[in-house]
Amino acid sequence: MSTVTATLTPAPSAALPPPAEPKARGLGERLAPYAYVAPFFVIFGVFGLFPFAFTFYVALFDWNPIGDQVFIGADNFTRMFADPRFWNAAGNTVSIWALSTVPQLLLALVLAHVLNHARLRFALFFRMSVLVPYITSVAATAIVFAQLFDRDYGLLNWLLGLVGIEPIDFVQSTWGSHLLIATMVTWRWFGYTTLLYLASLQAVPRSVFEAAAIDGAGPWQRFRHITVPSLRPVIIFTVVTSTIGGLQIFTEPLLIASGAPLTCGAVRQCQTLTLFLYEQGFGQFEFGYGSAIGVALFAMVVVIAAINYVLSTRIKADR
Amino acid sequence: MSLRLPLLCATAVLALLAACTPGTGGGGEGDGKSFEFWSFSAINQKLTVDAYQAKHPDIQIKLTEVGTSTETAQSLTTALAGGKVPDLVLIQGDNLPQFVEQPQNFVDLRTLGADDIKGDYLDWVWEQSVAKGGEVLGVPTDVGGMAVAYRTDLFAAAGLPTDREAVSALWPTWDAFIETGKRYKAATGKAFTDNAATSVFYQAVNQVSEKYYSADRKLVYSTNPQVKAAFDLGIKAATAGITAGQSSFESAWSAGMAQGTYAAVSAPSWMLNSIRSTAPDTKGKWDIAKIPGASGNWGGSYLAIPKRAKNPQAAWNYIKEMQSPQGQLEHFSRVGALPSTPSVYQDAKLTDAKDPFFSDAPTGTIYTDSLLGLKPFYIGPDSAAIGQEFLNAITNVEQSGGDPATAWDDAVRNIKTAIGE
Repeated sequence: MSTVTATLTPAPSAALPPPAEPKARGLGERLAPYAYVAPFFVIFGVFGLFPFAFTFYVALFDWNPIGDQVFIGADNFTRMFADPRFWNAAGNTVSIWALSTVPQLLLALVLAHVLNHARLRFALFFRMSVLVPYITSVAATAIVFAQLFDRDYGLLNWLLGLVGIEPIDFVQSTWGSHLLIATMVTWRWFGYTTLLYLASLQAVPRSVFEAAAIDGAGPWQRFRHITVPSLRPVIIFTVVTSTIGGLQIFTEPLLIASGAPLTCGAVRQCQTLTLFLYEQGFGQFEFGYGSAIGVALFAMVVVIAAINYVLSTRIKADR
Repeated sequence: MSLRLPLLCATAVLALLAACTPGTGGGGEGDGKSFEFWSFSAINQKLTVDAYQAKHPDIQIKLTEVGTSTETAQSLTTALAGGKVPDLVLIQGDNLPQFVEQPQNFVDLRTLGADDIKGDYLDWVWEQSVAKGGEVLGVPTDVGGMAVAYRTDLFAAAGLPTDREAVSALWPTWDAFIETGKRYKAATGKAFTDNAATSVFYQAVNQVSEKYYSADRKLVYSTNPQVKAAFDLGIKAATAGITAGQSSFESAWSAGMAQGTYAAVSAPSWMLNSIRSTAPDTKGKWDIAKIPGASGNWGGSYLAIPKRAKNPQAAWNYIKEMQSPQGQLEHFSRVGALPSTPSVYQDAKLTDAKDPFFSDAPTGTIYTDSLLGLKPFYIGPDSAAIGQEFLNAITNVEQSGGDPATAWDDAVRNIKTAIGE
C-alpha cells in the first residue's frame, strides 16, 4: 500500500506551489475502492470461503442432513484412512490421471511442434480444429465414447472382432474402464494443452529454428533441443494443472457406468475420489464423511500446488 | 482498515446467511387452494393430476417431475435440510426408510385423519411408513408385485412352450428357472435372461419372510439363511452362462432388449412400462408368466407431506381422493400401476384388464396373485445399501470375472464397510 502511494504521489517541487492537500476527502471517496472490490469478495465469501470453511466444520460431525448432527471429532478421518474404498478411489484416481496426462502432454508437445512449423499450410484451420474437443460438452463426449467402447455393440470391439479378438468389456474391467476414461480425458484436453504450448513456442524467434536447420539439425533434434527446453515452464504448468484436474475427475466415470453410476461399476473399478465423495455425501447422505473426503482432497491439491511453486522457482533460478 | 475490511465482509456473509436460514415454522400458512407436488418422471403422474384438476377446477396443482425416484429422494433430503419444500411428495419404497427414521420432518398424517382410511390398504404396505413413535408418514400409492416377462417368439424358436400357463409351469422354483435357461442356451446359443443380479437375486430376495432386518429391526443380513439362499441362486445363475451380463437400465441392456439378446426379464409391475418404452418395436412378442417360487413384492411408492408445507390440507385432500380404492383403480386403468388397496382386487376393471403389448396378458390378476399370501418383512434404513452391495458382488462374478467362492464373504465385508457396522 505504501509503495503504491509513494510512486503515485508526485514529489513536491520548489518551482510550483505545493499542490493543495485534497480537502477532507469524503468518507465515500475513501470507501469507494473497497466498494468496487467488494462484490468479488462478498461473492467469494458466500460461495467460496464459507462453503470451504463449513466443509472443515462438517467433517468433524456425524451429520445427518435431515436429522441429528453429532460431534465426533476426528472419527471421520480415522474411518477414512481405514476405509479400503477410500484407498481404492485414490488408486483409481492416480491410475486414470497417469493414463491420461502422459499421452495427453506428449501428444500436445508433438502437435504444437508441428503446428508451429513455418511451412504448414492452413495453419489457422488446424490450430482451431484441435480446440474443438475442448468445447464439446463432457456429457456428450462420455455418451459417444461409452458407445464406441461398448462390449456388444461398440465400434472398437467390432474392429477387434474383425481380427479375431474376443470382445473386451471395457466398463466392467478395471484397466479397461481406466483406459476408457483416460481416453476421454486425453481427447478432451489435448487441444487445449496444444494451444498453450503453441502460444509459448510462438515466443521463440523463428530465426532460432532456421539457424538450427541451416546448421544441419534434423526435425527430431530441433524438437529435442529447441522446442522442449523452451517449453519447460509451461510443461510444468500443464503437468500441475492437469494433476489438479485429474484429482477432481468426476463426470466421465459417473456417466460411463450408467447402471451403478455412483460407484462406477460393481466393484468400484473406476470410482474416483470425487465420485466417492459424491457417493458418500449425496448418495448415502453421510455429509460428515463426505466432507472429510473433501478435506483430504483439498490437502492433496495444496501439496501439488506447493510442488508447483518449488519447481517453478527452481526453473527461474536455473536461467 | 486492513483489519476492518475482513470484519465487514464477515458481517455481510453472516447477514446473508441469516437471511437464508430456513424458517422453522410449522407451515400451513398457504391459501389452501393450491399446492406443489414433487413426483418422479416417467410414471405419468400428470394424468392423475389432470384428472383431479378436472374435478376440482378451483385447486391449482404445480407438478414437478424431479427425476428418477432416487433423484427425487435426494432433492427432498436437500429441501428438508433447509430449502423450499413441496406440499406433497412421492417417495419410492426403497427410499422410504431413511425418511421414516426422521419423522420430525413430516406431517403426522394421523392428525389429518389417516386412521380413518388405514383399513383400505394392504396392512404390511401401510406399516412401512409408520415411524417408531407411531407417526404415519405416507400413504401407499401402489405396490410392485412380481412376474417374469418373456419373448414368445424366442421361446418358440428354442423349442420351449409359449403359452403363459405352460411357461409358468416350466419354473415352479428358481432352480427350474435356471434349468430352463440352460435348455434355452443349449438350443439357441444365446443368453436366456438379462442378468443374474436383478432378474434372479433381487426377485428371489424379495420373496422371503425376513430380509436384511429381523422383525424386531435388528440387522440379520449376514446370518439369515433366506438371504444366503437367494444370493446362492444369483451366483448359480451368474455362473451357469445363461445371462447376457447386462445390468438393468444400462444402454446395452436397452439395446439388448430391442434386439432380443435375451428372452426373459424380471418384471415387477412397474417394469412393464419400462419394457414398453425401451423396446416399442417388440410389441406383441412378449408375454408374462408367474414368478418362480411363491409370492413377492418389489417396489411401490408413498405420498408424504413435509412438515413445513404451506398447504398440507390441500395436499391431504388430494391424497384422500386419488389414493382411495376407487382412485387407485382408476390410476391402474390409466397407467397400469398396481393398487395397494386390496378391496379392488376382485373388481372387473382390474381382473379384465389385458395388456396388448404383452399378448393380452391379464396383468391385473397376475400381479395381485403374486401379492396374496405375501409374508411381509421389515425394511430398514440401510436396506437399500445392503441390497446394492449384494447386487454388486453378483455382478462382479457375472461380468468382471470375480471368484464365486469368495463372493458372499466379499459382499458381507463390503456391506460392513458401507453401513459402518
